[in-house]
Amino acid sequence: MIRTPWWQRLAPLLGLFLLCVVLSLASPHFLTVDNLLNVLRQSAINAILALGQLVVIITAGIDLSIGSVVGLTIVILTLLMRHGVPALPAALVALVVGTLIGLGNGLLLTRLRLPHPFISTLGTLNVARGAALLLAGGVPISGLPPGFREVVAGSLLGVPMPVVIAGLAYLVTHVFLSRTVYGRDLYAIGGNREAARLCGIPVDRRLNLAYALSGASAGLAAIVLAARMNSGFPLAGTGAELDAIAAVIIGGASFFGGVGTVGGTLIGALIIGFLRNGLNLLDVSAFWQMIVIGVVIVVAVWIDVLRQRVGRTA
Amino acid sequence: MTPAPPLFEVRALTKRFGAQAALEDVSLQVAAGEVHALAGENGAGKSTLMAILSGALAPDEGTILWEGRPVVLPDVRAAQALGVSIVHQEPQLVASLSVAENIGLGRLPHRAGPLRLVDARAMRAAARAALDRLGVAVPVDAAVGAIGVAQRQLVAIARALHFGARLIILDEPTSSLSLGEVEALLASLRGLRARGTALVYISHRLEELRAIADRVTVLRDGRVVTTAPMADLSQEALIAAMSGRELAADLQAGPPPSGTEPRLRVRDLARAGRLHAITLDVREGEIVGLAGLMGSGRSRALRTIFGADARDAGTVEVRADEGWRGVRDVAGAIAAGLGLVPEDRRALGLVFTATVGDNIGLRTPPSGRRWGFLRPQVLRAVAEAAVATLRIKTRGIDDPVRTLSGGNQQKVVLGRWLRDTRVLLLDEPTRGVDVSAKAEIHRHLRALAASGMALLVASSEIPELLALCDRILVMRQGRVVGERTRAQATPAEILSLATGATEARAS
Repeated sequence: MIRTPWWQRLAPLLGLFLLCVVLSLASPHFLTVDNLLNVLRQSAINAILALGQLVVIITAGIDLSIGSVVGLTIVILTLLMRHGVPALPAALVALVVGTLIGLGNGLLLTRLRLPHPFISTLGTLNVARGAALLLAGGVPISGLPPGFREVVAGSLLGVPMPVVIAGLAYLVTHVFLSRTVYGRDLYAIGGNREAARLCGIPVDRRLNLAYALSGASAGLAAIVLAARMNSGFPLAGTGAELDAIAAVIIGGASFFGGVGTVGGTLIGALIIGFLRNGLNLLDVSAFWQMIVIGVVIVVAVWIDVLRQRVGRTA
Repeated sequence: MTPAPPLFEVRALTKRFGAQAALEDVSLQVAAGEVHALAGENGAGKSTLMAILSGALAPDEGTILWEGRPVVLPDVRAAQALGVSIVHQEPQLVASLSVAENIGLGRLPHRAGPLRLVDARAMRAAARAALDRLGVAVPVDAAVGAIGVAQRQLVAIARALHFGARLIILDEPTSSLSLGEVEALLASLRGLRARGTALVYISHRLEELRAIADRVTVLRDGRVVTTAPMADLSQEALIAAMSGRELAADLQAGPPPSGTEPRLRVRDLARAGRLHAITLDVREGEIVGLAGLMGSGRSRALRTIFGADARDAGTVEVRADEGWRGVRDVAGAIAAGLGLVPEDRRALGLVFTATVGDNIGLRTPPSGRRWGFLRPQVLRAVAEAAVATLRIKTRGIDDPVRTLSGGNQQKVVLGRWLRDTRVLLLDEPTRGVDVSAKAEIHRHLRALAASGMALLVASSEIPELLALCDRILVMRQGRVVGERTRAQATPAEILSLATGATEARAS
């Protein structure tokens, strides 16, 4: 809801641009259409999860459960399809289940009054993963109908389908956050919950909505992931919540709520994607990749702190 | 031989915040074994003086003397080391630690050796010794969270004694105590006094000052009005000294109420332990004040009328075009045409991460939304109209609200309620804004009333209410204890109703 000056919003974009320049100088394989599409495809799932995370972080919350919700919904989705349910209704069920689990997270917060979403979603993280392993019997579920993978992991006019799906999700979320009463209310709740309440905003209902959307994003990510892997692995999405949080924070959202944009989150997800890809191309080991990404998160937030300090004294 | 110098003395203290002088030329002497009361209305400078005495704030000018020697108090620890401790209204204790640990905190006795193990036995003994000096029995092993408010006060005082305090500043120590607890506390304090400890005692409850204080210093507008032996000052003289002369006539001028129809009707509003049978009407075009001391229930009454705080009984109704509408929650209140400008704009009023425009549009007028979508053009027009009407000084509605001055931020909160509002509730509408912004906000409030809005204004500043309101209701301990029209009211009378110095006559 706050229109940050363009030069402030530019920082993550500038970071992404510099990263691309450096990588294209370092590796001849980086700046090719194939590779760039590949990065986008690989980033799509994290980008979708980051959207849900963005919505709750704007309310000054957090959703640790989305990685596990991906695991549970991917198992449900693939089980349904293996038992002959057509792909479309099965995918809808996955979306609904994700949404309901998210709504459950919201209700834990707004009805049971758990003190912080960190706790409620940490509980859900464990419950959902356990349920996924139980349902799947601990093993991956395969034998999906052949068309599913071809459509969802295929491409549309040369653009990978996961990228198309993520793009649509970004568009819808952008409109939701910037143009609707609900989106505006989420920013207000994150910025000052009590002020929002005193302006007549139904805080609990909006929080339920935010967590439901976060769950829905996990359901959507599970659909894309199932198609890419052509199976339902009950441990799918383990730790995915942390990459999603990283993308949101690198993208300039504030952990204290009230601040964050869809555009910034996209850039955050892309920075992580390009970094992984570039380090792979440069043959940097996965262990070093973790270290680099950790440093990038800290530096990105530190730059943000400096920026705000400048903004305050200006 | 010259008489011994007083234990603690400050001479000609001055403290300014910006252009505003919070204290000017304040001098005070406290002798060993004396209870020195500090009296004054809110904003008279008591807090600032307390902060300077306890080392939390440095004066701009003036000297501080301890046993006749000039000293400098760079921080609270330095003051404690010297022998000056402060006990705040809400004792600053760690609820999860024991009484003994709290008393010793920061100075826990420990055994020799690199581990610095706490010597629990010595710690308990020291705590008991400190409590003994107060003549009270508080279980030293109980968690502070498990003991009562009154005992927490005693623990905080014992902590000061443990730190070797010879002068203890008590800030409203009885504000949340029952009558019996107050008596017990005063008895303990008398014991301390008899053993030579000096006390600076701050309270709004005048009868309490009379019961404990040897001398009293009255502050008003940052200056010392008088210092006198408590016994020499009648209750009337004390109140007169605190509230000051009549207000300048030009401040009082305001339009008479333009309508006689009630807009807001509150009947027997109650909340256990907080509010008791609040009944009031506010008419169209009328500005009604809610006076009362801190904790008298002013804010609670406004918030409960607005539906933001729970109630146990009673009704709130607003007269809309189609008749009386009952109000139960915030959404219903706003739909019926109620608005609230809350007490603390930072904590309750503004979304600091957002712009001026978005803060005004936070209470979205029905015309600003359609099918769940915001209508940006409408919201911009509404926000720009509010900025123009209230003359909010900002570069534009896209400016972050945090860049505005306090007075302009307050106008942003007010700006939400210019449209579709029949009854506006305002809680301390001018706290923390400068004098000129205050006068401006008052002008806007009168204009709103003149346009037919009904206003209910709670304020701790009696002069503000006298300047602004047609009628003033006085609250004490969650009840409305008196009502005065502007013509009848004097500051002294309202203050004495609020403090309970005189019982209300039927009005």
